[in-house]
Amino acid sequence: MIEQLTFDVLNDEQKYQHFMERINRGEKIEADDWMPDDYRQALIRLISMHGISEIMGALPEKEWVPKAPTLNRKLAIMAKVQDEMGHGQLLLRVAEDLMKPLGKNRDNIMQDLFSKRLKFHNVFHMPSPTWGDAAVIAWLVDGAAILSQTMMLDTSYGPYGRALKRICQEESFHAKHGESLVLSLAEGTDKQKQMLQEAVNRWWDALLMFFGPKSKNETGHSNVDKNIKYKLRTKTNEQLRQEFLTKYVPKMKLIGLDIPDKTIRFDEDKQEWIYKEPDWNEFKKIVSGNGPKTNERLHLRQSSYEQNEWVREALGHISSAAVG
Amino acid sequence: MKKDHHESDAFYEEFEVFSKKKDGSPIQHQFSLLAPNEEMALIMAKENFFRREPAVDIWVVKRSNIRKLAQSEKEALKKLDKPYRETKGYADLNRRWRAFKEKGKDEWLKGEKEA
Repeated sequence: MIEQLTFDVLNDEQKYQHFMERINRGEKIEADDWMPDDYRQALIRLISMHGISEIMGALPEKEWVPKAPTLNRKLAIMAKVQDEMGHGQLLLRVAEDLMKPLGKNRDNIMQDLFSKRLKFHNVFHMPSPTWGDAAVIAWLVDGAAILSQTMMLDTSYGPYGRALKRICQEESFHAKHGESLVLSLAEGTDKQKQMLQEAVNRWWDALLMFFGPKSKNETGHSNVDKNIKYKLRTKTNEQLRQEFLTKYVPKMKLIGLDIPDKTIRFDEDKQEWIYKEPDWNEFKKIVSGNGPKTNERLHLRQSSYEQNEWVREALGHISSAAVG
Repeated sequence: MKKDHHESDAFYEEFEVFSKKKDGSPIQHQFSLLAPNEEMALIMAKENFFRREPAVDIWVVKRSNIRKLAQSEKEALKKLDKPYRETKGYADLNRRWRAFKEKGKDEWLKGEKEA
């Protein structure tokens, strides 16, 4: 009790203990609160990766804005691209507040992205050659993202939890949008059905990879244990992947899609899906910046960042003129 | 033509954004953003975050103008236990009323008999 009144005089070990007690009680940690360095590092890694993935994730869909088949579809996909950018802005702010004591800011995030030190989700390194891909991204990639974001709603870090709450609200629109795109193709002509099936075939491995490897055995590295200890997340990668399969495999079959894995089945005894593992070496290659579309999309992001620099500078002059 | 990026720190400040959903609801903190001035902060708040959800009012406040509690001050708040200021500090009232009612009933029955 007395420690609470004299928090400032606690030593680091006592502060750490106090911190762990707080998160175990379900209290939320705020940006200015004391936190262990590895908690801060874990948050920065997680949230800047998430934020940048939202922004890079808008790029494969954005390619379909000028080519959307109807005006209504164009408006909807444009709204979605805007939402993803907004989510990126929201999350990057959360990351920036965590980086501030380390003397870093958004520019460091952008430079880390361009130099491939900062990774983004494997799915956003992939091409989206047809409207079927736009549909599969909106339905299944967003579906996968919703599962992992919902899991983190109760995260121990308050600002991240609040951002996720807002993001998940908008994602529920995205989920409906995705279903609508997929159902239209599934109800359509043979050619449309084939287009959808081919897109599913292209995306299947990437979707399984999205949740990350089961353990560090697959890729030699994992942050899952630490993130669970610090209550940043509550489920493992494999639990999320199982949830995804339970939620979507029956729906995919219902609309006549073939699952591009002949071995997939639900084991009633173990109560889990048995499926063919994706190639985790390929996953490592992609997320370290060697996916089919990595360089093209990074180049697009970088050139727009550089071309718009004058706008940021011009705004700065207005501000200093007003103050001066 | 790499420029000194520290310059960007100087003019992009943190703003906290508050909004009111509808008449009669309280103004509520939403999120923060970076902007060079109040006007831009408002434009960016609308552009980024109020495309869909209703809002009847939006406030932006420079974060540096907000006096927040330090962690030690927040910890001190937790310690305050003031049951005498809350209804739950008076949870024994029902039991005591019941005792009087029980007693009253006995007294009444006793009176009946004697009469």
